[in-house]
Amino acid sequence: MRGVKGKVYRFCKEFNIFVMEILEVRSGLRKPVVVEVVEEKDFKILTKRRYSFRWKSLKGQADIYKLHIEEEADILGVMGLIDVPEERRIEIKLLANSRENQGRNKLYDRVAGCLIAYACYLATTKYQGDAGVSLAPKTNLIKHYMQKYQMSYRGWQMFLNREAMDYLLDKYFYV
Amino acid sequence: MINIFMFNRKLNGKVTQAELDGDVFIGVELTPAQKKEAARCYAEAMKKDKEEMTEKVRATLIHTHIRGRIDSYLATKKYDPAMSFGYFLKEYIDKLELKRKDFAAQIGIDETQLSQLINGHRLPPDYMPIRLEIHSNNRIPAGHWYKLVTMEKEHYIKTDMEIRKKQRKYVHNPLYPQTVRAGGKSNGVLDGR
Repeated sequence: MRGVKGKVYRFCKEFNIFVMEILEVRSGLRKPVVVEVVEEKDFKILTKRRYSFRWKSLKGQADIYKLHIEEEADILGVMGLIDVPEERRIEIKLLANSRENQGRNKLYDRVAGCLIAYACYLATTKYQGDAGVSLAPKTNLIKHYMQKYQMSYRGWQMFLNREAMDYLLDKYFYV
Repeated sequence: MINIFMFNRKLNGKVTQAELDGDVFIGVELTPAQKKEAARCYAEAMKKDKEEMTEKVRATLIHTHIRGRIDSYLATKKYDPAMSFGYFLKEYIDKLELKRKDFAAQIGIDETQLSQLINGHRLPPDYMPIRLEIHSNNRIPAGHWYKLVTMEKEHYIKTDMEIRKKQRKYVHNPLYPQTVRAGGKSNGVLDGR
């Protein structure tokens, strides 16, 4: 899953195909974003202080993706994914917006939505109609995820059914 | 190595405001028994979901799947004869479970032309990527289809020695003696090196 995916958006850049956009809250402007596999040098800046976890600790255990604005290096969001081929699903293990993109005064909106939609894109590319995206949240968050991302909950985990994936792809990926 | 378990929180663990806002998500690590139960429930739910899936959703997932596969191939920037325009066009039709005759009618061409495109017997006209983009509800951009064609053309232009032999007779530049190496390989003059 890694490697090639990191190059996908370089191809999109070359052909001016920007597929996802985030919203600058203050100006209302939409900006094209790129999701790529995290590079070794990125781990130096992916600190717990700014990105909620020590992402380096996840290295080798999950595929870690970063989101940044096209032509800008600053990482606005990070996501750790685990591929579960036997169940044809991708599990979101960790996700964090950078500190300034959290809460009411966040600079950019749609960062987390774009990352989740990207997970849908990866799962669908790999598993087509059988694809699924799941996560195992704390009990107190179940209702929240049901409302915000139309997720279903069953058997200790939440997942996006196909209709929810279609909804998220339409809302965040195909703009 | 630090284990992923270091990030784990209990199922009923304290929830931060950032988590409630959806800005941070920390996955919980399930026990082996919970994982087993989760896998069983997931398989059941997805099976039911597949049975109830609408045609629109099915088409979106197929479009996204084909789009992702074209993305991945183009990102390699290496020409692969198996990954041609015709190959992806056939995939597109087959995955949507359309009859060729019906699909040809949907994009306004005749079935013979469609077969020629699939089998690589003719190059797609310029309007074809546009029609395919529209057919996929913009989910597979025309640029993707077009790039598949240009990759094939580029490979052909770079590697075909026969065409160089054929074209040689039309070029007369006294500054550069034009020769072709034995075995049909260009000496670099003819292909612009």
